[in-house]
Amino acid sequence: MSPAGPGVRSRLRFLPRVGARNLGLLIALAVWLVFLRFTAPFYFNFDNYRVIGLQIAFIGIGALGTSLLMIGGNIDLSIGSMMAVCATAAALVARDIGVIPAVVAGIAVGGAIGLFNGLMVWRFKISPLIITLGMLAVLRGIAILMTSGYAVTGVPDQFKILGGSRIFGLQSPVWFLFLGFIVVGTYLHRTTTGRHIYALGSSRDAAQRVGINIRKMTTGLFLVNGLIIGLVGLLAASRLGTANPTFGVGFELEVITAVILGGVAFSGGEGSLGGVLIALVLIGNIRNGIIAVGLDSAWAQVANGALLVVAVAIDQVSQEQREKYRRLLAMRERTPQEVASTKPASPSKQD
Amino acid sequence: MVEVRSVSKYFGALQAVDQASLGVRAGEVLCLVGDNGAGKSTLIKVITGFHRPDEGEILVGGESYSSLTTLQARQLGIEAVYQDLALCDTLSASANVMLGQEPVRLKIGPVKFIDERQSAKRAGELIARVGAAVPDLQAKVARLSGGQRQAVAIARALVQAHRLVILDEPTAALGVAQTHASLALIRNVAQQGVGVVMISHSLEDVFRVADRIVVLRLGAVVLDTPASATNRREIVSAITGMDETVGAI
Repeated sequence: MSPAGPGVRSRLRFLPRVGARNLGLLIALAVWLVFLRFTAPFYFNFDNYRVIGLQIAFIGIGALGTSLLMIGGNIDLSIGSMMAVCATAAALVARDIGVIPAVVAGIAVGGAIGLFNGLMVWRFKISPLIITLGMLAVLRGIAILMTSGYAVTGVPDQFKILGGSRIFGLQSPVWFLFLGFIVVGTYLHRTTTGRHIYALGSSRDAAQRVGINIRKMTTGLFLVNGLIIGLVGLLAASRLGTANPTFGVGFELEVITAVILGGVAFSGGEGSLGGVLIALVLIGNIRNGIIAVGLDSAWAQVANGALLVVAVAIDQVSQEQREKYRRLLAMRERTPQEVASTKPASPSKQD
Repeated sequence: MVEVRSVSKYFGALQAVDQASLGVRAGEVLCLVGDNGAGKSTLIKVITGFHRPDEGEILVGGESYSSLTTLQARQLGIEAVYQDLALCDTLSASANVMLGQEPVRLKIGPVKFIDERQSAKRAGELIARVGAAVPDLQAKVARLSGGQRQAVAIARALVQAHRLVILDEPTAALGVAQTHASLALIRNVAQQGVGVVMISHSLEDVFRVADRIVVLRLGAVVLDTPASATNRREIVSAITGMDETVGAI
């Protein structure tokens, strides 16, 4: 045991863990903000922060679901279309039935689709990438069919309260983002179930052998992701007072970029919500800043895609480094003390 | 004490285990040897509850069972560590040891908060019991060497296994020094009063660690002897079924 001991370590765990990776993100953010300070002096004002906050709120709430799924070793690419279906369903119900049923409908439709995806991934044991990519197209088509391609208008004003209000000067989606990060973060990082989600993503075998119900957990994560996306769709429809079947095109890419850039391993079992939050702030500032310095907004898309590639590359390189380190350790383990500590000191051959 | 009596197991027409009996006392290391397909794995899977025996009985702590479920086996304090170890590389050593058995600090409905301090403390104790040196329990298991990883896997088994730990080829993937360390670790486990069954192909390792040696051939126990009362030659001829005078090994 190290002199620091496990006691000290575990106490430190209560502080936000700022790993090397998060530090890198913070430095990138600082450099970018300093750059903006000189090139776009009007960038720094509260109204602009509110715009950024709103932009990252939707991506961020979506990122909660994707983080859970990806840490658990899965992924759902259909969230962009799923959000459109949920928004459209909520707006239709709000227009034709009522506001409360609309809130329930938006979230429940998301949950149902998420669960459906989860059951398919579990049952067919095919890569979730392929299954949910198919669902991305299916759900987009369904969203268009639901409204014959038109936007849903004429929702009652009460429907706009949920996503359109401000509390203490911040828009409600931003509050949902904060609340979501606290709740999901606590669950993921502090509870046994959260720990088991990491275990599932890290090694299904290990998870199963210690008695974790991996079927229930896998489908459960898809379900929760669906509920979260239902909330995103509902908030979007409510905030805009309308729903359009073209909502959320490219949403999955933005969400996955934030999650991977934030340090969640594509292979599962690794990452923290703190990192995702920092990545979100960075992405929001880059997108908004690119426009603030007068570049074409298409550059924001370029930056977003580039960030995803860079994030995955960093992920890969750091895993290779770990592999190297392990080989080095294995070699170092042939120290004389360890050899001498075993029972007979006779030399042996490997059979 | 864990014992199997006259256990047989068929897979269709194939008889994988044939009237096999063996017993492991607390604190004893029993090595199960035999050629490929001799029924070693099937026999231990009967003990861990993966296979249901067609005949015979399993005795654990004086109670007789016609078969065990995996859950029952675990509850009776029987755990197996397989060659692939099944560790979570991205979790810390302490999280791996306590996985599925995390100490709980606060429980609100189905939500259980992990007591991290207690978890690290217990994991540290267990790894110390195995007698292994894992420098940093909070380091991810991916950063540990083969021998240390094995220590973590065995420590995890010990969380539950107060009766019997079954090790399937624990040294097969290890280098020379790591094999030494691993065998020392297995002796340590036995000294804690836990029975150990080790499957191995390496007679070198077997003679270094075993109290008892049981040889399986074609599913049947052909030799069951204290390690001190036998030698390599006898074991080899029992494994192959050839008379030692013929043996040129």
